[in-house]
Formats: sequence, C-alpha cells, structure tokens
Amino acid sequence: MKVFNFLKFGKKTRRKKNTRNSRRLTKRKFLLTALLAVLLLVVMYVVCLDYTVRTRFEGRRFALPARVYARPLELYAGLKLTPAKLVAELELLGYREAGLPREPGSYRWRNQQVDLVTRPFTHGDGPQESISLRVTFSGGQVEALQGRKDNAVIELLRLDPALIGGIYPGNNEDRVLVRLEEVPQRLVDALIAVEDVRYFSHRGIDPRGIARALVMTVSGKSVQGGSTLTQQLVKNFFLTAERTVRRKLNEMIMALLLEMHYSKEEILETYLNEVYLGQDGNRAIHGFGLASSFFFDKPLMQIDLTEAALLVGMLKGPAYYSPRRHPQRALDRRNLVLGEMAEADFITDQELLAGRIMPLGVVERPPRGTSPYPAFLSLIHRQLRRDYRDEDLRSEGLQIFTTLDPWVQRAAENALNKQLKRLEQGRGIAADSLQGALLVTDAQNGEVQAVVGGRDPRFEGFNRALDAQRPIGSLIKPVVFLTALQQPQKYTLATLLDDSPLLLQQPGTEDWQPQNYDKEFHGQVPLHTALAHSYNVSTARLGLELGVPSVMDNLRRLGVDREQPGYAASLLGADTFSPLEVAQLYQTLASGGFRTPLRAIREVLTFTGQPLQRYPLDVEQVVDASSNYLVTAALQEVVQKGTAKGLHRYLPKDLGIAGKTGTTDDFRDSWFAGFSGDRLGVVWVGRDDNEPAGLTGASGAMTVWAEMMAGLGLEPLLLPVPDNIERVWVESSSGLRSAAGCPDAIELPFIVGSAPTESAPCGPGSGGNSIKSWFERIFK
Amino acid sequence: MRALRPVVPMVLVLLLASCAVVPQTRTRPVASSNPAVLSLLDRAHKQSAAGELEQAGASLERALRIEPRNALLWQELARVRLDLGLYRQAESLAAKSNGFAADNRTLRGENWRIIGQARSGQGDYRGAQDAFDRAEKQ
Repeated sequence: MKVFNFLKFGKKTRRKKNTRNSRRLTKRKFLLTALLAVLLLVVMYVVCLDYTVRTRFEGRRFALPARVYARPLELYAGLKLTPAKLVAELELLGYREAGLPREPGSYRWRNQQVDLVTRPFTHGDGPQESISLRVTFSGGQVEALQGRKDNAVIELLRLDPALIGGIYPGNNEDRVLVRLEEVPQRLVDALIAVEDVRYFSHRGIDPRGIARALVMTVSGKSVQGGSTLTQQLVKNFFLTAERTVRRKLNEMIMALLLEMHYSKEEILETYLNEVYLGQDGNRAIHGFGLASSFFFDKPLMQIDLTEAALLVGMLKGPAYYSPRRHPQRALDRRNLVLGEMAEADFITDQELLAGRIMPLGVVERPPRGTSPYPAFLSLIHRQLRRDYRDEDLRSEGLQIFTTLDPWVQRAAENALNKQLKRLEQGRGIAADSLQGALLVTDAQNGEVQAVVGGRDPRFEGFNRALDAQRPIGSLIKPVVFLTALQQPQKYTLATLLDDSPLLLQQPGTEDWQPQNYDKEFHGQVPLHTALAHSYNVSTARLGLELGVPSVMDNLRRLGVDREQPGYAASLLGADTFSPLEVAQLYQTLASGGFRTPLRAIREVLTFTGQPLQRYPLDVEQVVDASSNYLVTAALQEVVQKGTAKGLHRYLPKDLGIAGKTGTTDDFRDSWFAGFSGDRLGVVWVGRDDNEPAGLTGASGAMTVWAEMMAGLGLEPLLLPVPDNIERVWVESSSGLRSAAGCPDAIELPFIVGSAPTESAPCGPGSGGNSIKSWFERIFK
Repeated sequence: MRALRPVVPMVLVLLLASCAVVPQTRTRPVASSNPAVLSLLDRAHKQSAAGELEQAGASLERALRIEPRNALLWQELARVRLDLGLYRQAESLAAKSNGFAADNRTLRGENWRIIGQARSGQGDYRGAQDAFDRAEKQ
C-alpha cells in the first residue's frame, strides 16, 4: 500500500514540473530531465521494494504455533516398566521398528530386551544427544540400561517427549519447520523438475522460462506461469493474489532483489516451509514438513520418491489434486511429476516404471491436528495466558514442556468412559445421561498428570474439570475436622461428638436441620468415626462450635483461594467448587500440610531452545505436620472401615489409601477424592442438567477412581510420623484411656500431651491393669 | 622415650584415621541407593558450584520425581532456594525434609539450620534463634 501511494505522488509532481519547464527548455533537455526523473523514481521505488523484501524476509518469517509436549519418560534401573509399555511409549513418540536400529527414532523389541536409538532433543535443561542403548527388563522392572557401542552402564536416560498439541495462530496456519538438510534430495529434485528447472542457475527470473511460457500460451497448448520458485515465494510472501501487470512487475523486481541478498539455499528452504499444501478443517497445512505428517504420518526425512512426487504435484492445486478426495487425479498428477523427473534425469527409467505402479501411500485419517487432550491443553493455555500475550503464544513457536503423563491420562479417560457406561447399564440410568470429570496429580509435587473434562475426552468444549462448579458435599468435612484437630487441647480423634438432632434457628434465615444419610442419629460418636462414616449432624455441630469463619479460613489456607460466603450449610459442602479446586484442596493434605500449587507446565523454551521460563516446585507449610497427620489417618479409616470401604474390591488394603466420598442432595453430585503415596485423584460424576444422578460418592465417583487407579500400580501411602505423635489405646465408646486387649479398645494417634488421661475401667490407671484384665477375659 | 618413638606415628595415624572416617559416615549418609538419583544429585552439585542455581533446582526436582520421599533431596532443594534468597520456600522445603527424615538426626539438625538461616533472612531473628537451638538439640 505504501508503495502504491508513493507512485501516485510521484506522477503528480512530474506532471507539474513538465508544464512549468516546457517553454524554456529545448526538447532534448526536457527529455533528459524527464529520463533522469523517471530513473530517480525507479531507483527510489526499487530501494523501497528492497527494504520491504529484506525486512519481511529477515524478520519473523512464519507465525509458528506454540508446541506443547507431554512429560518425557525417564528410564533408569529399578523403574517399574514392562517392555510392552516402553514400546507403546516409543510408538507414541513415532519411533519405528527396525531389524537393527541405527537411525535416531528406531527400536527393536526382543523378549525382555529393547534396543533403541533415541532422537536428539533439546529439553528444558539443555540439549541431549542421540544415544544408542539397550534396555533389559526383569520382573516388571527395568533391569539395566547399557550403551550399545561400549556396553557402558547408563544411569538415567530421558526419552524425547510426545508432542500433544499446539496453540495455533489466529489465521490457523500450521506448519512444522524443516531445515534444508533434513529435506530428502528426491523432493528437491521433483520440485526443480516440475516447477523451475533452471532454479540453481537463474537470478530470480528466468527469461527462457518466460519465453517458453509465452509461446505455449499464445500457441494455445497450455497456460503456463513461467514463474521461478523465487517468484512463487515472493508471490506467497509479499503480494496479494490479484493478477495485474503491475503486480507481476513487482514480483519480478522483488525476486531479483531476493536473489541478490540471499543464497539459493535460504530461498529454497523458505519456499519449502511456506507453500500451502492442504486444509484440515479450519487449519491450513503449510510447508512440506507438516504436509508429510498430514498425508503420510511420518517425518519429511522419511518420505520416499513417490511420496515426494505426490507432494510436489499437489502444489499446482492442493484442493484439486487432494489425494484423499480425488485419488485418481492425484495419482495421475504424481505420475506426471515422476515423468518430468525422469526427463530431467533425476531418476532412471526403472525408477519411473517402479514408481508409477506404487499406491499413493496416504494415510486414511490425518494425525489429529488438534490435541488429543483438549482438556489438559485448556489448563495449559489458561496458565500460560497469565504470563504471555496470546499473540505470542500463537506465533513465536514457543515450546511448552508439560507434566501430562499419557498413560495416566489414558487410564483416566478409559476409566471414566467405561465406568459411566457400566453405571448406566447396571442401574437402569438413561444411556449417556451421566457426565463426569477428573484430575490426577502427583501427590508430592503437585504436577497435574491427567485432566478429563467429560465423557468424550476429545471434545473441545465445556471442560468440567476446570469449569463445572458443583456443591462438594462431604468432601468439605476433612477441613472441618482439621480445624478441630488443630486445637489438640480441645479435640482429638477420640473426642466424643454429639450426633443427636440439631436445629439451628437464626433470624433472617430458614431453620436448618441437618440429617444423616441413613436418616438416623447416632448419639455420642468418636470424632474419627464421625468422619469415617460421614455423619452430617455431628459434623455440623462441631463446625458450629468451631465457628464457620474459622473453617472457611482453613479452606483458604489449604488452597481454595476465593471468598466463600460461609453459611452453616457450608459446613456440609453446600458451596460449589470445581474439581480442579478440590484437587488443590486435597493436594495440601496429601503432601503433608504443605500447600503445593498445582502445576501443569515445567518449562517454556523459545523456538530456538533457549530457556524462557521455569515453573519451579513451590511448597508452603500451611498446616502443622501433626494435625495434618491426624486428619490423614482418619481419611485412611474412611477407606478401611467407612464410607469408602468398597474400594477394596478394586485395590489392595495395604496401600493405605486416604480418601473421602461426597454425595449432595437428591444424589445430584457424586464425588471422590483420594490419594496414595504417589498419586492424588479427584472424580466428579453427575448430570449437566443438575438433575439427580442417583449415585452416592461411593457408588459413582469412587468406582471411577478405583477403576483408574487399579490400572496404574500405586505406591502405598506410608505417612511419615511427626515427632510429637504418640499412639495410645483408648476405649472407643467413652474416649477414656484404655490398653491393648481391653474391650472396645482402639489404638489412635495423638499429639503428645493431648491423649486422655482419665482411665477407663480396663485401663492403665484403673484398679486392674490391662494384662490382668486380659487374663481375666481369657479365663472367664 | 625411645621405646615410645614408634608409637607416636601410630597414634597419629589412628587419630587421623578416626578424623577421616568417623565424621564422613556421620555427615555423609548414603543419599540414595538409586544410581539415577545419585547422578542427578551429582549434576545438581556441579550446577550449584557453577552458580547455576535454577538448573540445580531443576535437577533436584527431577530426582524428587524418582524418589519423592527422599529427605536429603528435599533438603538439597531447600539449600538451593536459600542460596537464591527464596527464604519462605527454603523454610518450607526444609520442614518438608524434616517430615521424611525420620530419626536421622544429622539431617534434621541441618534442616533446622537452614530454617534458622531462612528465618533470619526474613528478619525473624527470634524464630531463627529457636531454629538454631533446635538444630543443636538434634
């Protein structure tokens, strides 16, 4: 546009000058001046074009989407891993099976042994060379890693991470940049043969080509462009699609300028990355790098002669010659390219004949352009938007290293899908009426390993894991009990709570009369039992005693960073939270009272692999270790004896899992939150229309949780015991001190100095001691 | 006196030996039985020594993903954060290490020293003194 205005302005001044001088000057002089003026204008015009060409070519050439990667798999001796699972990981990374793996990205599996050559990759902490190694397995574990050349022991090996998606530019151009040295010679040959035979000898424009095109066009044989590759690049890069003489002229000047400044290789490389080669929904496939994976599902480096010919053939009209929509046209066009290649002596006649009978080799379905994990990706995008401008995310080619574990993600997706179907069938619930969401995190460092936003994990819309706000019911109870246990002088796990009818009357609000799930009242119940069986009435009374605001304070401290109104009903989970918020809340409990912000991103690198930002592990102690220990021990009892004891149908008891079920009014929401030594999971099941789903926390969400975790091989939850915790026998029904072997005796953890001192009839301080009473009972 | 002559070097050798051996077993417990963790720990030490504290932290986080209950790794991470001047984090990480340290007094003593330094870095001198006192008691 600037160029255009400049031209107009030039014409005007010239006209003025002409009229003023015409009388005084001789005809010759006039001509000379005019010529000079025109020359000056031409020079200025060319300088201006030159500036445009250079700034555009050297500036950011392509808008590159951010690339998002899963966690890299770390291999080391002792890692729980089977050869089948390693091979599955390699397949996910696009490694090829080979008889003898030599190339980076190839492997061979023989029984308990996998040989592989890793790809070089720049991780968040620097580049890692390609390594050829042997992994041996034994008893479901990695036994050893050895270099295949020198047999040296390798202590730790990090594979390259799987690409799990991109954040695309506004115009939805997508491309995978390739370097010229990665491009197969066959592709370059095909391109030269078909598009620009004299590419390596001309200077941007090809007069012979133009002449030939003219002759062909005039003689009516065919309409040929005669454009060189350089001209085509200029056309794509700098100019609009209009077809005028002026544009053609600009194109030729710019092509000459481009060739003056840049090498043939640079121009060719840019061309290979720029050209448009197809459409995937609203995503435009640009460059041969992406086209190769889009049509053949393999890296450009690996395509063969006929595949190269097909791609080059498509340049003429990517839609018209689309091998998926018009395979015959594409085949004819490909064979024409092969013919041109033979004519230009790039291939032998034999290769031509062999090539012509080859099938197209196009994979039926293109590899997914959008991420297979849209729910996880939306969490990433949300976290990134806090630190980056959206346009940078979409254009700077940032590399985002995330915490997604593809195996956990797959287990989570499968469990939700399978279990919801099973629940609907088994309980006569209308098919496809249930919905669900879940998150899995690392219990210690807060890294998010999986996010499922609904039954269809590929759906890119509403993400329930992040955005569904639902009442959490009894999932709130550990916060109430923690608030009590933080006052060891007043409350211990053995403290008796009052579970008799409760009526709360406050002016201005409706009377509140909480009920237990079984519609009964349980009189005096020990605190740990009230949590294990999730008694509402005693919890509500306890919460009111503690004060709703102090419970809400604790909730914020644990990590739900937002103002809660805090009514009495909040004590029983009437407030709404997202599964993500619940995960943050339980994360603090799972990591021993240390609030660990959930993280889904480890590092961000620039396009060239320079570290841009790290998201380091951050922990903050917000609950003292001993009260956190007590509440966690009580949550283990929930699973051992309480509302979640059905978990043992799926998982061994000795895992010591801590968890809590949650059910809301009329069975609208079914929740389960729980953790082992290594993983924390939060599951919600319900209906989008908020109608009753007919499921309790235990019959719905817990079964999804169990199904998922059973397939993952959990580490047991072994709680480190703080110094000031002692174990004391108490009489359950009275809360008085007792002894091992006494009737109704139970051993519970106490913060030192808080255990009951008054002794039950059969206790250490009673007339008889425990051993005596034990003998008494034996001989009775 | 002459009879004692050969004894002197022997005593010296014994003394030196006890100096060299005993404190080592006390202050340098085996960090891990996992060579992968040891190699990451080694890497972290080199990075710290080169002043690359953020990278050292990243290496320790990698090691912690393999052994999340390793008290020494949490302590090393606490020290890295302390050196970065991130006192609040250093204090919490050392406390986290204490949680996993069980009855390893050496480790706990060092954690309390880190907590003391982190507290004094935040201007909490009384809290720092408490922590140093606890370090002595371990």
